[in-house]
Amino acid sequence: MGAVFRQIEPRSPIPLYVQIADRIRIAVATRELAPGAALPSVRQLASQLRVNPATVVQAYRELEEAGVAESRQGAGTFVRELAEPKREAERQREARRLVRQLMQEASLLGVTRDDLLGALRVEMKVKLA
Amino acid sequence: MSNAIETRDLDYRAGKHFELRDLGLNVREGSIYGFLGPNGSGKTTTIRLLLGMLRPIRGSISILGRSVPREIPQIMAETGYVPERPHLYPYLTVAHAVRFHAAFYPGFDAAYADELRRSFAIPLEQKLASLSKGEMGKLHMLLVLAQRPRLLVLDEPTDGLDPVVRRDVLSALLDFCSQGTATVFISSHLVHELERICDWVGVLDNGKLVVELPMHGFKNGIKRVRVAHAPSLVGDTPFVLLQREMSGLEQVWVVRGWQAPMVQWFEGVGAEVREVVDLDLEEGFVELLRSSRTPAS
Repeated sequence: MGAVFRQIEPRSPIPLYVQIADRIRIAVATRELAPGAALPSVRQLASQLRVNPATVVQAYRELEEAGVAESRQGAGTFVRELAEPKREAERQREARRLVRQLMQEASLLGVTRDDLLGALRVEMKVKLA
Repeated sequence: MSNAIETRDLDYRAGKHFELRDLGLNVREGSIYGFLGPNGSGKTTTIRLLLGMLRPIRGSISILGRSVPREIPQIMAETGYVPERPHLYPYLTVAHAVRFHAAFYPGFDAAYADELRRSFAIPLEQKLASLSKGEMGKLHMLLVLAQRPRLLVLDEPTDGLDPVVRRDVLSALLDFCSQGTATVFISSHLVHELERICDWVGVLDNGKLVVELPMHGFKNGIKRVRVAHAPSLVGDTPFVLLQREMSGLEQVWVVRGWQAPMVQWFEGVGAEVREVVDLDLEEGFVELLRSSRTPAS
């Protein structure tokens, strides 16, 4: 479970609760977290990541609202069974998020969209070959 | 929601060179409140006022719904305080220090103290005089957490500790916080350390409270905006202009209270927004201090 949260970045403008929720979403979409798996308790995760417990609560609430997780009274929060089309949708959602992030960084560096597309083609061919 | 700490119009003076003016703090119950400020801004003085160790010239202080200084004994019974400098007797062993501290707090949780001591790996029979600085820091945190207080007042609790110890101390603090509804008031000049744990921030500079905001408001509301064709005179703005300076042909503005639609305001004055950059807590903090010292024109 620890590896899921390696990428929490407190200095990023993306709110921490969004970062935590996103990491869990990805782990669920990739089956790193299986359906029915227990998420760490708020206490565990807050202390492990050294974040405000309210931040973890907020992340879990968002996952529940999105139907990714469910809380069971007194037992904790668990990953819900996601149908295959929904997991597919989550993966695509994540892909778009990654691209948006890339585009943002590129614009800060003055890299154009054409530069990016070219680089993407080159890199993907390298990987495929 | 009620406040765990509340001060109104607090004034305090020490000699000719230092004063606190009109201090109005509002620390909500259950929040983790980061009290930020550079060295010498008055953080420790404020804490000493809050806990009745100094007397204000003017103003009122209420803690956990009780009045300072009249009800300090009742307040301290429910408050865990880690002072800036250790105040434990160096000739005691760890075991003695724990028992000594426990004697003042009827609700002291000895089992929890022992659990923390083991996880901190502090040897029970060692004299405090021979503990390392890191072990002393951990011992202090252990003592106040085992009180199971309603309020924690921590004055630079991680100052001078190495990163591994800091991590252990903060993890223990957050573990405690997630067990209940305690309020934490934590002062520090280590801004990035508080960035991930606090939900409220107060910034003190030169004896004045510059800002008090929820963390998300602080982080999302302060932006650096690159502006082309900026007007030379700025009238009413929908945001608070903290700073502006020339950068080549453009100007860089630092603004507070930013929202995306405000781009239109720039169009209205014939200017153009080239870029809006998010600031992290540390950058926001530095910009706030700069502007509180030399207000933008």
